[in-house]
Amino acid sequence: MKIHSVAEVTGYLKELLETDSTLVDLWISGEVSNLSESAAGHLYFTLKDESSQLRCVLFHRARLAVTLENGAAVVAHGRISIYEVSGILQFYVDLVQSEGVGILHLEFERLKAKLAEEGLFEPTRKRALPPFPQRIGVIASPNSAVFYDIINIISRRYPLVELVLSPTPVQGDGASAGIVQAFDTLNDAQGIDLVILARGGGSLEELWAFNEEKVARAIYSSKAPVISGVGHDTDFTIADFVADQRAPTPSAAAELAVPHRTELEGRIKSYRRALVAALSGDIDRYRQRIDDLTRVTSMRLGDLLSINWEKIRGQELKLSSLSPLGTLGRGYALVQHSATGEVISHIDHVHRGDTIDVKVSDGQFKSRVTGSKKGLQAWMNNFHSKKR
Amino acid sequence: MDEQLSFEEALSKLEKTVQALEAGGLKLEEAISLFEEGMGLAKICNERLNAAELKISQLQTAFEQELESRGETT
Repeated sequence: MKIHSVAEVTGYLKELLETDSTLVDLWISGEVSNLSESAAGHLYFTLKDESSQLRCVLFHRARLAVTLENGAAVVAHGRISIYEVSGILQFYVDLVQSEGVGILHLEFERLKAKLAEEGLFEPTRKRALPPFPQRIGVIASPNSAVFYDIINIISRRYPLVELVLSPTPVQGDGASAGIVQAFDTLNDAQGIDLVILARGGGSLEELWAFNEEKVARAIYSSKAPVISGVGHDTDFTIADFVADQRAPTPSAAAELAVPHRTELEGRIKSYRRALVAALSGDIDRYRQRIDDLTRVTSMRLGDLLSINWEKIRGQELKLSSLSPLGTLGRGYALVQHSATGEVISHIDHVHRGDTIDVKVSDGQFKSRVTGSKKGLQAWMNNFHSKKR
Repeated sequence: MDEQLSFEEALSKLEKTVQALEAGGLKLEEAISLFEEGMGLAKICNERLNAAELKISQLQTAFEQELESRGETT
């Protein structure tokens, strides 16, 4: 037989209480009594009903905007543990609401505040959706309208993907565990690059699985980014806050998941137009260059030609100065044999009796050689003496 | 042209081809071959879209297994 110390027993009790999944997270309704406030600002009170009562403490740091008073009917959330110093079993309260408020709303607000504080809703941790997903995991109720809506929409918009269905009940007991399972299955599957979590519209109770903490954590730890499409546009669930992308409805989730083929076809068409425009732009530029080059070439050619014309004109002038016609104008004559056309430039070329043609500046005449004498000395002398 | 190109790959190559051609500064032969490549890619994109048929597979979840073991079918 072993004898325990008091501390051992209270410590053991404390451990038992704090590892019980029901006692660490529960809602209790009752009437407030024996309310008192400590110097440190902690509130102590008792929750009681007809048959029993429970000691409660609401620490200053946990206090929310509630006013407590004796006799008030409230619903409180917290955990059960033991205060070892006095050995008293206590309800450690972190949230108190008037009983009139629906418990689901309370739980929703509580979990939302808790997860927000933990950073599960941080915009910075939202992952971008793949623009062209290849394998999309779909978590929804098997053979439901939601399933077929998603299949239809995606097959119409972007049939290039593979849908990997991961069915689970989405309502009632076990729904949240099923959703967590479905996420696990998709996390283990190969190449899932996007997950759609969807459920049709329903009451707060019917949608409740999507407000449970384990579902929130499953979304948060999903390998692939998650689009939530739960209920109608006006329904907001915790799942929506955690998801990388919230869609107002399951159909909208399917639409957000994939691009639209009409839009893609439009893009392809505009790319084709851009290709044609760019190439014809290039061709136009080349054509322009060819035009420019041709113009330059023909200008050069023109220049060359005009220079040649100058030269030709110069030669012409030179030629005309050498023309015998000019010489004839000055009183000289061209003498040719009538028979042969041979120009007579030496006295030996003619003999008495030859017929010759004599050309002067404005005509010609025939004559006969009646005599000839070699040498020009006499004539030259005559010329000189004349000149003298 | 690679026949194994996926739609996404073909579209992104097409996008780059358009950008390269629009950036200019190419020899005419290069521009023409880019143009031809781009047109080929656009054709592949359209073919992929038109030929595609949605693939659907269903994973066996614990829930399904349970239904089967109970002799129910979904």
